Amino acid sequence: MNPSMDFLSRRGFLGRSAGSLGFLALQQLLSRDPLLAAGAVAPAHRRPKARAVISLFQHGGPSQMDLFDYKPALNRWSGQPYPGGDLEVHFDKQAGNVLGAPYQFRPQGQCGMQLSELLPHTGSIADDITLIRSMTTGSVDHESALRIMHTGRFLAGLPSMGSWVLYGLGSENENLPAYVVLSDPGGLPVDGERNWSSGFLPALYQGTPFRSGKTPVFHLQTPAGISAEARRHQLDFITRLNRHQSERDPANSEWQARLAQFETAARMQTAVPEVMDLSGESAATRRLYGLDNPVTAEYGRRCLIARRLVERGVRFVQLFLSGQPWDTHDKNAERLKGLCAMTDQPSAALVQDLKARGLLDDTIVLWTGEFGRLPISQGKDGRDHNRHAFSLWVAGGGFKAGHVHGATDEFGYKAVQDVVSVHDFHATLLGQLGLDHTRLHVPHEGREASLTDAEVTGAKPVPSLLA
Amino acid sequence: MLAMIEAAEPAASGSLFTRAQTHWAFQPLSASVPGRGSDLASPGSEVGPLDRFVAQRLRAHGLSPSPQADAATRLRRMSLVLTGLPPTPEDLQAFVADHRPEATEIWLERLLASPAYGERWAQHWLDAVGYADSNGYFNADSDRPLAFRYRDYVIRSINQDKPFDRWIREQLAGDELAGWKPGDPVTPEIRELLEATHFLRNGQDGTGESDGNPDEVRVDRYYALEACQQIIGSSLLGLTVQCAKCHDHKFEPITQKDYYALQAFFYPAFPIEDWVKPNDRVIEAPLSGEHEAWLAAERRWENGEAQARAGLSGWKAEHQPPLKPLWEDSFEDPGSLGDRWSNTVPGEDQPAGSPPVSIGGSVGPAARVKEGVLQLIEGGGSGDRWLSTRQRFSWQPPLVGDWIQVTFDLVALKTDGQAQDSDRIGYVLATHDFADRGTQSGGNLLIDGHPTGASTVHLDYPGADSKSIGSIGGQGYRAGHNYGVRITRLEKDRFSLQHWVDGMADGTPLTLSASDLPPGGFGFELCCGRGFQVDQVRINTSPRVGTPEHERWLAYEGALKTQVQERDRRLAFLKAQRLPKPGRIAWVSDVHLEPRPVPLLKRGNPKTPGEPVEPAFPGFLDRGQKLPAALPVPHGRTTGRRLAWAHWLTTPGTPQAALLARVTVNRIWQQCWGVGLVETSENLGLSGAPPTHPELLEWLAAEFVNSGWSLKHLHRQILCSRTFQQSSAPRAEAMSVDPANRGLWRFPVHRLDAEGIRDLIIAASGVLDPKSSGPYVPTPRNGDGEVLADESAPGARARSVYLQHRRTQVPTWLVNFDAPSLVFNCTRRARTTMPLQSLSLLNSEFTLQRARDLVLRLDRECGVSERARIQRAFLLVCGREPDASERSASEEFLRHQLSLYTAHPDSNQRAWRDFAQSLFTLNDCLYLR
Repeated sequence: MNPSMDFLSRRGFLGRSAGSLGFLALQQLLSRDPLLAAGAVAPAHRRPKARAVISLFQHGGPSQMDLFDYKPALNRWSGQPYPGGDLEVHFDKQAGNVLGAPYQFRPQGQCGMQLSELLPHTGSIADDITLIRSMTTGSVDHESALRIMHTGRFLAGLPSMGSWVLYGLGSENENLPAYVVLSDPGGLPVDGERNWSSGFLPALYQGTPFRSGKTPVFHLQTPAGISAEARRHQLDFITRLNRHQSERDPANSEWQARLAQFETAARMQTAVPEVMDLSGESAATRRLYGLDNPVTAEYGRRCLIARRLVERGVRFVQLFLSGQPWDTHDKNAERLKGLCAMTDQPSAALVQDLKARGLLDDTIVLWTGEFGRLPISQGKDGRDHNRHAFSLWVAGGGFKAGHVHGATDEFGYKAVQDVVSVHDFHATLLGQLGLDHTRLHVPHEGREASLTDAEVTGAKPVPSLLA
Repeated sequence: MLAMIEAAEPAASGSLFTRAQTHWAFQPLSASVPGRGSDLASPGSEVGPLDRFVAQRLRAHGLSPSPQADAATRLRRMSLVLTGLPPTPEDLQAFVADHRPEATEIWLERLLASPAYGERWAQHWLDAVGYADSNGYFNADSDRPLAFRYRDYVIRSINQDKPFDRWIREQLAGDELAGWKPGDPVTPEIRELLEATHFLRNGQDGTGESDGNPDEVRVDRYYALEACQQIIGSSLLGLTVQCAKCHDHKFEPITQKDYYALQAFFYPAFPIEDWVKPNDRVIEAPLSGEHEAWLAAERRWENGEAQARAGLSGWKAEHQPPLKPLWEDSFEDPGSLGDRWSNTVPGEDQPAGSPPVSIGGSVGPAARVKEGVLQLIEGGGSGDRWLSTRQRFSWQPPLVGDWIQVTFDLVALKTDGQAQDSDRIGYVLATHDFADRGTQSGGNLLIDGHPTGASTVHLDYPGADSKSIGSIGGQGYRAGHNYGVRITRLEKDRFSLQHWVDGMADGTPLTLSASDLPPGGFGFELCCGRGFQVDQVRINTSPRVGTPEHERWLAYEGALKTQVQERDRRLAFLKAQRLPKPGRIAWVSDVHLEPRPVPLLKRGNPKTPGEPVEPAFPGFLDRGQKLPAALPVPHGRTTGRRLAWAHWLTTPGTPQAALLARVTVNRIWQQCWGVGLVETSENLGLSGAPPTHPELLEWLAAEFVNSGWSLKHLHRQILCSRTFQQSSAPRAEAMSVDPANRGLWRFPVHRLDAEGIRDLIIAASGVLDPKSSGPYVPTPRNGDGEVLADESAPGARARSVYLQHRRTQVPTWLVNFDAPSLVFNCTRRARTTMPLQSLSLLNSEFTLQRARDLVLRLDRECGVSERARIQRAFLLVCGREPDASERSASEEFLRHQLSLYTAHPDSNQRAWRDFAQSLFTLNDCLYLR
């Protein structure tokens, strides 16, 4: 992509932040435009460890104590009243007794990370990931918790993490959007497009959804009945007229940029289908991602596309599931089995594949949901929301390999040791991309808005997560 | 170089309150008019105060204004700024030929008198006050079907040039001004006042859907109240009040107590403990006679609809070849439901789902027969349960071309007591093996019927192996229609799954394999609060292929298609004459006469309420004015607090009224020039940007107030100025001093906003829909996921202000040009340039259709003369004639394009279409210059 903004609104938008990083990063984005390339500025605050992020987002709140956080007390107390004191419960009228965790845990890899038997493939990459068991967030409401995870704030309307990263670092491939969303063909995730909204940042920083099917991006295809030659000739005509009109105002960089973008758009028309076309991938790769198995094929396909995007310089990729499947309010154990069967192998395959291709060093893979679940039952066999503890894993990009960080209480209800807030995690992640979270900000509504809002949240990077 | 960005004042230095005493925006108005400098006016042109302020600043930097732009450019500029529509070629010619000295003023008055003026400026206002046709907050983003009345009120008020101070008082306290109470007779004036209060409920409000624990519900309620305050802050006061929710504002002289003292004025309308949900904040206030007229119209519609339906049924009864259903249920006997249907799958006796569907029960999840209709009553929570036939069917028709279909009448999209229509109508074919324990895979084919678009199909539902295999149909599920699917055998053991609506195919089918279709039952899904009612469930199989009966069926279905199309045309015609129910108004009024205590929330947290706070005005503006915090209200059923706050805000001569005037004038300026005199138009406080032309802003604000708060007066001042009328051409000497044009030495070239571009293209192509009020034009997500108005729907080519403003579903085409997806409000838009815009202009169905429309217009208006056609197309789209080089380029292009299309019978149309579409992509179309 080769985005630029009109000079006046750019100034208005940035207000008095000249000199702050946002401004520099924008300059860098703009400097890709040859007309604005007056001395490109190094974008990052410090040397980046990673240049790309793939977020495998697990909507609904995966149950940490059934998957990542082994708690023998759950089975000992199963069916009895919860002995640990007050719990914050979302559906307060359906709270039950302690609910056991039926699946076996086993140590995995050289590091001996304890993982559920439902995650054998994640087990096989245990030595490549950092598992955080002490995550906390600020809401037990899906939408709000999603916003905290994606935008750092409870309320809607703020830019997503991907938008901030793009705002800070710009793009590495002019023919593809720098921030791509791979949503489920089954439908949008909960909270829909807000999960990749640029909020108050300009639309050019929002995620671009790539859909499966003929037209991954809206209006990508030349309409039926217009031959390549006719279109080529039309583009030449448009360029000729626009160039002629621009002669009246030769210093109007926005006009020049718009002119160039008709060509960029034409290149996107080939670049996007190319990246979505998996026919050139080897049989072994396809098997690795589970494309040969109907259970894993769809999710695996998106994981593989994520790799292809990052390979081509895309900065931020978010992969979503339809709805919020990890929201196991009933039949918790049974549903987890199915969800792991669908996601475990492709998620691990992505890490393995990136590693084999030497891409893992500077790509961060993130596997997380928006919150965790409770040690007690909801109804007969479900688990309710929990903001006081959840688990996530992250691989590559300078995060420690084969590492477990933090711990929860005896029942997995509350993070008690080396607690990591979502904001701390954001700060750490930005840091790996070479961005100082306290300096990546823009003026908004009378103050400096940022992903972490450190002044209010107290966010700080967690060095012990890093290699 | 001009000081482009003045250094920020150190925010923390000195007391904020001390600085507020002298901050420019917080003072009463004190306008002066600059002296008449002899070197300013070019010979023969009368220069007003606005131009003198601009010239003064330019002169200080050794600059001068640019000469007047040519007439065509000026008329296009004025038309697009004032009405959002381009001038017609006839107007352009007339204006160019109009050499009267006051021609500009005369034409400006015409534009101000056009109804399009209100539509254009309403969109700006609706942005600033956060108008939306949906509630937002939660994923559901539920509908606000009555919000359009506020939109229409805004358009009317702007067209009437209602005094702005009065207008603001109406929006803050119209109910209190009206002196009306429910049940009283209603006059048009009263109704207008009640509609105005919708301003206070423009913010997001999720309390209709809120389902968490009591603490969460309380947070959700506070959110709606806080959104109201935030919108008031940024749109009226130009201040970021929301920071003071948790603590004293760090950059503005607003204390936390000020925040809750402001809240206390609005709390009686939004009392947290006695909350009224948005759907209940509605009154019936029809004018006399209106209700009767509506009832009569409704009866006409119902009769017409019944006739049309009966006509089709009659035709079917007469022409449909006999076909005996394989299985059917008309739900005549409530007692026998359990004999035919089960809450598991055929052949299993363990009930499925948790909890399982209770057959004959009334507490969800349940299925029962009531009044001859099957009610599927859902109990909330998650799904994975269904009501299935006890009988098992073979879903694989024997011969290629044979089919089996299942259909049902959809009676209603909800059941008794359900607040909202279901967002899915789910049903399942080949039900078997509910608990996923069996060895047989495939089957359990869920059709997730979507009310407004395509239906997703899931195989092996539910459980881990469930997967989405695509979507079918597209008409959506509406009550009163017959739905279902037809499975037809294809070659090589493949089967097509075709959506079936009212006896006809809908959309493109999916292809299934034999293993997807094991024998099994048919069932309805009960899931996620989605109840609905059905009748006449029928499973039919086709007459065997090759038999005369089969041929007869094929002929019948062909004829049926024509019949249905005819009926739909008739229904659409009848429907267009329907009136919305009159007098239903989504309003805001106080819930109690006696106000409840309003607590200051410690750290902004509803869980830690502190001391109660009385309504009071913020000290840094009020400075001891001693205006009352409540005013007597005629009917005496509200607290009079909002009325008092509205009066305080608009009391002449006060700092607060001056602030309101400055904020408004600055935003109007921004909409005319692309950028405000204060760039941060939502923030004129201590932390906002300083004005580039402080005296000019001050003078305009005073003009505004002194004219009786007339927006039209303000527009006259701005648009008639020499500064606005000057050329946008660059001048080398000025470029070197002020490249960003902050001194306004030329007219700033800037791109039209999203709505501006869409409306321009529609108007230029001659197909603008005359819609001027009423419910929004729906903009659903189509099968491809694109959000847009369906081209065949009435109003699809209406002005953008009438399109559905759903927060989470902004039309894709508009989003690409920076239309906001509203959370709070949007006082200024971003203006980006990105490749997705090029793609939308080149490839979207919208631009392609408009290009075709423009060609038809040229056919109508110019005949075959190539020269005349090219000339008119440029006039329509770019507002000027092509120059010689553009003309020859166009001729050359058409010639070449024609040669490429020679194989097509409509080669001429195609070549002109490409030409027309190319014009839409030009900078001279997309930009104001």
